[in-house]
Amino acid sequence: MKLLYSIYKEYKVLTRDRAGLAITFIMPTVLILIITLIQDTTFRSVSEASVPLLIVDRDNDSLASSLEKSLAGSKFFVITKKNITNEQAKNEVAHGSYLIGIVIPENTSKNLRKKSTQRISKLLNSFTGDTITKDERIDTNRLQLQLFFDPITKLSFKTTISNSISSIISQIEMQSMATSLNQKMQENFPYASPQKVETAPLVTTTEEYASYNNSTIIPNSVQHNVPAWTLFAMFFICIPLAGNIIKEREDGSAFRLLTMPGSYMIVILGKMLTYISVSLIQFGLMLCVGLYILPLMGLPQLNVGDNVLLLFLVAFSAGLAATGFGLLVGTISNSHDQASLFGAVFVIILAAIGGIWVPTFVMPEIMKQISVISPLNWGLEAFYGIFLRNFGLKEIYPELIRLWLFFLATLSTSFLYQKYVRMR
Amino acid sequence: MEILVDIKNLSKKYKDAPRPAVNDISFIIEKGSVFGLLGPNGAGKTTLISMLCGLFSQNEGTISINGKTHQSNSKECKQMIGVVPQEIALYPKLTAWENLMFLGHMYGIKTSELKERVTKNLSILGLHENTHQKIITYSGGMKRRVNLIAGLLHNPQLLILDEPTVGVDVQSKQAIIEYLKNLNTELGMTILYTSHHLEEAEDFCSHIAIIDDGKLITQGKTKQLISENDCKSIEEVYLKITGSKFRDK
Repeated sequence: MKLLYSIYKEYKVLTRDRAGLAITFIMPTVLILIITLIQDTTFRSVSEASVPLLIVDRDNDSLASSLEKSLAGSKFFVITKKNITNEQAKNEVAHGSYLIGIVIPENTSKNLRKKSTQRISKLLNSFTGDTITKDERIDTNRLQLQLFFDPITKLSFKTTISNSISSIISQIEMQSMATSLNQKMQENFPYASPQKVETAPLVTTTEEYASYNNSTIIPNSVQHNVPAWTLFAMFFICIPLAGNIIKEREDGSAFRLLTMPGSYMIVILGKMLTYISVSLIQFGLMLCVGLYILPLMGLPQLNVGDNVLLLFLVAFSAGLAATGFGLLVGTISNSHDQASLFGAVFVIILAAIGGIWVPTFVMPEIMKQISVISPLNWGLEAFYGIFLRNFGLKEIYPELIRLWLFFLATLSTSFLYQKYVRMR
Repeated sequence: MEILVDIKNLSKKYKDAPRPAVNDISFIIEKGSVFGLLGPNGAGKTTLISMLCGLFSQNEGTISINGKTHQSNSKECKQMIGVVPQEIALYPKLTAWENLMFLGHMYGIKTSELKERVTKNLSILGLHENTHQKIITYSGGMKRRVNLIAGLLHNPQLLILDEPTVGVDVQSKQAIIEYLKNLNTELGMTILYTSHHLEEAEDFCSHIAIIDDGKLITQGKTKQLISENDCKSIEEVYLKITGSKFRDK
């Protein structure tokens, strides 16, 4: 009964605190919407078909059309064709309108066909012993396509794109050589009816994400930002919770409660249960934002995986850790201002190193190692496990244990500190 | 004479403090008395009350309430005490009813009984019309009255009042003192009262103890103290004993 009334009191106090409610529910919703929208392009540029590519086609022949067809088929580029000068193309890429620009000079296809024919003729003549005519001598000047890259393009990404384009061009070259060979053979064996030379690759590769349980969910900005900012908001609860504790201490309520038989522990327990419930409500609300609001803004829908119960277990564990932290901040701070400043700064630092703002997978190695000390990182890794790798309790329990240990550590430090203050 | 509170050779020194906050103090509080604990700022009153409530443990000495000590029977001791702190120890965004129901439940009072007590006390102190108003909307005097009710919902044997009338108007002050006198005379509730309103203390308290620098300077029945010191009022006695120098420099 005491505990129920304590929870009821906390509920009343919390629901009548508009600023506290704003921090608790509105802040994470706004953060998720804004940060997800901001980061969506970045996440997509790494994983999806969104590389803006400019083609300046002065060739107007088979090579340009084959190249465009292959690039479009790769689903990696958003292609725009323009009839502009090299300098203009370079400027457009330099100003960030396109990540890559390709200029195909005039007669490139014609010259490619010519060079292919020369090579094939030279090859066949070497069998028959015929002299190589002047026309059959291979022109050593190579055909050149001009590529422009946006200066912000990372070297690894540039190399990947260059290799993709080179691979496409090689296929076109191969196709051209095969066509020339066919033509030459036709000239030498006019009555034969040969089949076309097959140029399709003989060796292919299969690719898949090495995820658990055959799950092939690819991380996107929604799957990062929804759990990340929900965790941030959960830990930000430390500010209203610490403020609540300090206010009770300042206005004498804590003194009164401490003089009651066995009541202060119940009051603290009531606070903790209330704030953990708030964390779970926050989590449920943020899941709804990911499921229903973000898709309305053109963002991907949150894929929550199959184990919603486990998601709530992670949220509960994170809520425990956040509540313990709030209790500690409230216990050791002398004033509301001190708690607000200390709590906010500490949560921001934990969030930064924990991969909330910038995901750990793009962090330098040293920061990746440091990130494991942040409880927000433990929560985020557990959510990643469920969202992206279809993990079960068996796989994420180390993160849950870390969160519970953090809760126990903060809780016992709070009680020891309070005892120390009363004893001194 | 029945003793409710027996304090013997009580001492408390805070870590790093140059001198003890409470230094070898002994006195008794009789059942049914109104005991005034007076002293300048920093004299040791708050530390003494905190130890009496079981918040701090003493370095030396004993405190027994109705024959029981905090060390051996903390829960029972706490149940016998009601505390009215100097601060308005209420939740401003809750109504008077919500505050009192919460605090009453924390004392383990049954809901039906608690509702009766809250209604009765609010009515006696003229707050029945404001029962469901938030504390934040109350005047200083109204807040003091609710603060007082919160300390005695569980009918304690010993009510500890830390400056219960500070910052209130004459009407509220009179209502509070009258109410306390009734509690003392009709229910026989023992009251430990601290205040800087010496005139009020002289009128209200049957016994007075004056402490200074952590030491008990004098104690006795109010009228007896005045006559023994050849003074006209407790204020004169107080100034005679403690001097007129500032204490909270």
